[in-house]
Amino acid sequence: MFFVFLWLVQDLITVFAGGSARVPQLFILGLVYGIITDERDEIKLSAIWASFAGGILWDLRWVGVPGFFTIGYVLVTLIVIHIWNLIPPQGRSSGTGWIVFVMLELSQIIPPLFPVLILGGATGLHFFVGQQFYSLPVIIFCMYLRAVKMKNENNP
Amino acid sequence: MDNKHTVELIHGLTALILGLFLLGVSSGLGITKSIVDIWAAALLVPEYPAVVLRDLYLDWQSYSNDRDFLNAEVKRLRDENSELRRELSKLTNAKILESTNKKNVRAARVNLRAPLAWWDEIRIDRGSNDGIILGLPVFSNGYLVGRVSNVSLLSSWVELITSSSFMIPAVIEETRELGIIAGGGDGSVLLKYIPAGRGLMNGMTVSTALVGEQLAPGLPIGIISGEVENSADGYVTYRISPGAKLTRVYSVDF
Repeated sequence: MFFVFLWLVQDLITVFAGGSARVPQLFILGLVYGIITDERDEIKLSAIWASFAGGILWDLRWVGVPGFFTIGYVLVTLIVIHIWNLIPPQGRSSGTGWIVFVMLELSQIIPPLFPVLILGGATGLHFFVGQQFYSLPVIIFCMYLRAVKMKNENNP
Repeated sequence: MDNKHTVELIHGLTALILGLFLLGVSSGLGITKSIVDIWAAALLVPEYPAVVLRDLYLDWQSYSNDRDFLNAEVKRLRDENSELRRELSKLTNAKILESTNKKNVRAARVNLRAPLAWWDEIRIDRGSNDGIILGLPVFSNGYLVGRVSNVSLLSSWVELITSSSFMIPAVIEETRELGIIAGGGDGSVLLKYIPAGRGLMNGMTVSTALVGEQLAPGLPIGIISGEVENSADGYVTYRISPGAKLTRVYSVDF
């Protein structure tokens, strides 16, 4: 339900911004955050199909051709799950700040990069760079939330 | 890689392949357009607040831009208007000066300036015999020095603009503000009753106003040289530097 809310927030911000693509990818960012903070096994499979569904809905709303953001969302989820699986569970709580940052950043780079690479053009690149600029504060906020969560878990 | 990870990988790759398949075939399917329309229509309700907010923001932005543009335009037009008034004033003064010089068929010599009434009046050597009438404006170098206050057959008295009893309506050419020109009795000439808050007036030209009794409008008097008093009732008194050299009046024109 929370991911539906994030998708809607991303959609509303995009509507408010007049359809510009410079809005942070809150939906996939929330999914990635969920994968790295929730250790339950079923969350990963849910995340894969949620990213697929969210991507299709996003494409239908803003692109018109299903597939552009769907591929990006699923790819990000797959990469993040794979990287996170490579780290032993007991080592995930400390010293993984940069890895988490990279994974969160991947969620903002890969999905909007697909349309730019496929369609090309200076305008697409301009939007892509703008979006990275607006995404950074949200990523930092996610890292802050994770740090607080870990601190609470380590010091109950 | 354990079984759990393999399952995740299979699910992920399946979703990826499905996505690629959709991307490949959807552009050729006419149904996609219908689905896009239905989905956009379904989102109309939840998106409504964002649409309203966006419209409000765009309206505010448009209002702000228009206001800035109009303010800039008003300032530009004010400056342009002021500049045009200055040019018009120069042209009017030049025309009046030329007209005065052309009509300068009658000049008079000052034959008496009493020390006790130095700034009040002078006597000239022309009278009713030469066509002088009461209230006739008198000039020096094209600028008003006073008006005829007493006429006899062969001579006349001219009340100077520095006289404390001299008061005529006047106008500031650049701003068209109306006021009263009054003599100070000590050689000074004052422009009274100009509304306060009009900014710096120094250098602006003053001439007679249309509301004068016998004086024609537009007769040049002098320029504003400084502020004398800013009264509590919202009016300012300015000091006028007369165009005529009142300390060296040997002859006048009329």
